[in-house]
Amino acid sequence: MSGTVSDADFLLQTRGASRELGAWVVSVAFAADAAGPAFALGDGTLRLASTEPGGGPGAGPGAEWRSVAAHDGACLSLVADIAGGFLSGGDDGKLNHVTAGGELRTLADFGMMKWVEHLATHPSGLRAAAVGKVVHLLDKAGAKLKALSHPSTVGGVAFDAKGKRIAAGHYNGASLWFVNSKDDKPRVLPWKGSHQMVAFSPDGTHVVTTMQENALHGWRLTDQQDMRMSGYPGKIKSFSFSGGKGRWLATAGADCVVLWPFFAGGPMGKPPIELAGGDGVLCTQVACHPQHEVVAAGFQDGLVLMAEIGSGKIVPIAAPGRGAISALAWNASGTQLAFGTETGFAGVVDLSKR
Amino acid sequence: MSDTATIPVTVLTGYLGAGKTTLLNRILTENHGKKFAVVINEFGELGVDNDLVIDADEEVFEMNNGCICCTVRGDLVRILGGLMRRRDRFDGIIVETTGLANPAPVAQTFFMDEDVKRATRLDAIVTVVDAKNLLARLEDSSEAEEQIAFADLIVLNKMDLVSEAEAAEVERRIRAINPYAELQRATKSAVPVESVIGREAFSLERILEREPDFLTSDEHEHNEDVMSMSFEVSKPIDPEKFNTWIGNLLQSKGQDLLRTKGILAYQGEERRFAFQAVHMIADGDFVGAWKEGEPRKSKIVFIGRNLNRPQLRRGFEGCVAE
Repeated sequence: MSGTVSDADFLLQTRGASRELGAWVVSVAFAADAAGPAFALGDGTLRLASTEPGGGPGAGPGAEWRSVAAHDGACLSLVADIAGGFLSGGDDGKLNHVTAGGELRTLADFGMMKWVEHLATHPSGLRAAAVGKVVHLLDKAGAKLKALSHPSTVGGVAFDAKGKRIAAGHYNGASLWFVNSKDDKPRVLPWKGSHQMVAFSPDGTHVVTTMQENALHGWRLTDQQDMRMSGYPGKIKSFSFSGGKGRWLATAGADCVVLWPFFAGGPMGKPPIELAGGDGVLCTQVACHPQHEVVAAGFQDGLVLMAEIGSGKIVPIAAPGRGAISALAWNASGTQLAFGTETGFAGVVDLSKR
Repeated sequence: MSDTATIPVTVLTGYLGAGKTTLLNRILTENHGKKFAVVINEFGELGVDNDLVIDADEEVFEMNNGCICCTVRGDLVRILGGLMRRRDRFDGIIVETTGLANPAPVAQTFFMDEDVKRATRLDAIVTVVDAKNLLARLEDSSEAEEQIAFADLIVLNKMDLVSEAEAAEVERRIRAINPYAELQRATKSAVPVESVIGREAFSLERILEREPDFLTSDEHEHNEDVMSMSFEVSKPIDPEKFNTWIGNLLQSKGQDLLRTKGILAYQGEERRFAFQAVHMIADGDFVGAWKEGEPRKSKIVFIGRNLNRPQLRRGFEGCVAE
């Protein structure tokens, strides 16, 4: 048994760095100008695994990862920012920018009892922050462009690939807004229930949400056909479109990685494929490689692995036993994979060719 | 729901002006060494004296499962989920609802949402009522009745403003709706904190532990909208028959049944089976063994509207094992 565990941990041990950070890892992100990722924690700090000298990302065993006191409370959201560095949102109502070097600047303060829960950015120069029922749009300089109101609290935001539209999930559907529209009336995609995370398919033809129930919902935008993707044993807390042509939507929430085909007429009427199953352990996080048809997945028991979608071949990254995986992300070039757990363990693995 | 690793949540209901915020501040400032996260839904005239206060909108949505009374408080799912990421900072959570809130979606959230179920447990529903104005409230709002029907503890506040005769009449009306809740008279919401916090009222182990306070047990209150009924049988129950009956009953009458609680003696079973439901959503499990010499009586209690006594009695008695 111990042989299996050490095998599963081989990549983390030989090509990675890890720390016990002592608080729930809410999110992890890589910035364009930072050598390693930032981890956003439930204690309100960001930990930057990017500032130490030496070898791979976050290397230098024992050295502290730089801690930035970002929020008075908990961090709720984290994304890479378009101006370099990171954007973080907290339950102190603040939207903060943190540079790769750890300098903090508050971009917006929505008030102590408001939660800055969801963030999105687009390289064309857009930042979006969901606070309660409102999605605030900001430009690269930090100026507020718009405040888009919804009938209920927003559960997730996403830009489309071109940065022309933004989608927000909420109760009884999702709203699509044209970022540059003057009249600011959303196209509402209705479906009963509570919708949370939202994503556009990379080709912009579909919108998919995760729901409070153990299901996804989708709309084909050309004819507003509904797609119900249900049958999951758990809530779907993470989903990700595959890199390259974006043909697959990988989802957590089952005891395997469930991938829906968004090509050849799918996903309507097409069954999903299942990868890396068989242990009866719930998949909690997925992250698709930015270029290749490879998906990384984290599980309830702490196992992290990656799987090639075409062949189903699996490579373990980190062994189980360090808490349920609560955050998972690739860097933009797909050479580093970072993960964090509910109990505060964080790791980053260098997968570049040597 | 009795896992001690979970964080207890106390729900505080009551009409605006009844004294909810005063009770809340009492709980927060008393020297008990415990830290609370507080979720509030409306700002009264009084501020809340606490480090961690979260502002919520009472966002109720229907579960997308075809069951119209499966309503859940989406804001609570979100907020409790967020609070769990820093659960080391507090010992309990208090949710203060607005005066007009129906407690059912709040309670159902703790049964229906898997993340909430995994991380928290509903400790009790505490309802603060204003002794002076309750009778008028009961006339003009169904929420006032529901808040009493759902309560595990009722704080009968502003006792300094009413005569003993008025207080007795208010208590009688409360008892007609819900004889199972504990009732505490108070002035300026002064009740011992330990009577409010840590009640474990939704723990199956503690179901029907309290004897009901029927002030006038023979007198039926025909003009009340919400009422309660209890039934007892001394012969063992057939679990299959009971499940069929209660399943059909909750399915067809669930909207009228606010809270249902039962302790059952199954045939050939040494342990007590405890059962509870909020509208259609049911929860049941075996709890401790029957005590030596304890009469093995099965008992079921309904609090709700349009309860048909003979029909419910026949139904329950029909669950007796052959």
